[in-house]
Amino acid sequence: MQRRSFLSMIFAIIGSISLGSLAYPFLKYLAPPKAEIKAGKQTIRKSDVGDAKEILYQNTPAIIIDRPGKGLIALSRVCTHLGCLLDYDKQKKRLICPCHAGIFNLEGRVVSGPPPKSLTVIPLKVEGEDIVIG
Amino acid sequence: MWQKIREGLNLRIGLTDLVDSSLKEHRVPSDTNIFYTIGIVTLVAYFIMAVTGYFLLMYYVPHTDHAFSSVQNIMTNISFGWLIRMIHIVASNLMVALVFIHLISIFFMGNYKKPREITWLAGGLLLLVTLLFCLSGYLLPWSQRSYWATTIVTNIPTAFPVVGEYLANVLKGGEAISGVTLTRFFSLHVGFLPPVFMAIVGLHIFLVWRIGLSVPPFSKSAEEEKPWTEYSHTTYAESYPFYPHFFMKEVSMVMLLFAIIFFIISFFPTMFIPEAANTPADPFKTPADIKPEWYFLAPYQMMKLIPNKFFGISIQVIAIFTFLFWPFFDTGDEKNIIKRPALMGAFIILLSVWFALTFWGRYS
Repeated sequence: MQRRSFLSMIFAIIGSISLGSLAYPFLKYLAPPKAEIKAGKQTIRKSDVGDAKEILYQNTPAIIIDRPGKGLIALSRVCTHLGCLLDYDKQKKRLICPCHAGIFNLEGRVVSGPPPKSLTVIPLKVEGEDIVIG
Repeated sequence: MWQKIREGLNLRIGLTDLVDSSLKEHRVPSDTNIFYTIGIVTLVAYFIMAVTGYFLLMYYVPHTDHAFSSVQNIMTNISFGWLIRMIHIVASNLMVALVFIHLISIFFMGNYKKPREITWLAGGLLLLVTLLFCLSGYLLPWSQRSYWATTIVTNIPTAFPVVGEYLANVLKGGEAISGVTLTRFFSLHVGFLPPVFMAIVGLHIFLVWRIGLSVPPFSKSAEEEKPWTEYSHTTYAESYPFYPHFFMKEVSMVMLLFAIIFFIISFFPTMFIPEAANTPADPFKTPADIKPEWYFLAPYQMMKLIPNKFFGISIQVIAIFTFLFWPFFDTGDEKNIIKRPALMGAFIILLSVWFALTFWGRYS
């Protein structure tokens, strides 16, 4: 190897390391700050729910629905297509995405439209007059 | 692959031709010294400020209730937020120092003379814009220092009769420093001043490029001696290409700038952050020893020494105008300051007074 190309190579390596070590803090700075997530369970009075109630579970919008004949279910309201929030259609008993018309049934499964997968079902337990989510 | 990209660019924009005509064929005098690189180093410092500034904007909230806490959040919670803010602070102080050094060296070498009067004027305006950047920037953290230093500065126009009060209130957006002042200074700092600065820099660089780099008056190859009666690009008895010779000199000075920034951040992290800068603004309590930044200490001390506010501020305004338009007063041909003892004496005395007032202001 010639001295000139050796020096060029060394210079390129040192330069890349220097540039990388300067770029790293800037890229790390762009990482989203850790959001405070309320860990654990959440309790709601059963009487507060009615047919359906929108809640915030661990910083994610969710909904508790009282399904006729099937009992309560807690679902994430975030559409699995591109993240819009679903609306509950009480008449037709389904969840509709206002963005691209994705439709989910009350089990959280896709009925029609572009969503690729079912909604996240959040564990739910009824303890007397309280509903414990999570 | 690089070869292909180069060929493609050559075909479309004539890259080789552009590099040859504007960098390799552009000549600079062979006896330039490191002071000739200070201009570009200052510009790099400005770009460092711009990049770190954009990053700070992502988390900074320009509201009196959140400004201080958002800056503290950047310093303590956000990954490497402290580093980005420290680079911004240190680079801003170094930038002011660099503009001062640049102007002093140009003055000392007499390079403001014909045909470079407009270049000097643009440089002087850049110093004023830089100081405005600093002034508008240090209110933003909404700390005790921010609040009270800005209170003092925004009250300076009250020294002028008739319009003074009105001017001060326009600057503050009211009778006192408030949320309106904060948003005014914020918009000035991030929206108004950057394009103004870049426009003046554009003019400055265009003139330096168009006329050609000046030659030190004490060098062997003094610039052509015939009087300038029509435009001509400066030619030199001895010169070398801008690229790579002068370019490498500039790169090494830029590296030195980075080294100094990281040296200060590593070993003197609190150099530009006094106690009052870490305390939230309290409009009901002026801190015991509130002092402006080092570059405002000389005018600050002068205002303390001269009891008549109008007289004190008038001297400073006259000084600024004399400084800006100096090339139009000093029109003689002699560039070498050593052959002009009166000017050199006045220059050294003024510089000494400035240093003395700065130290006096700092330790009084």
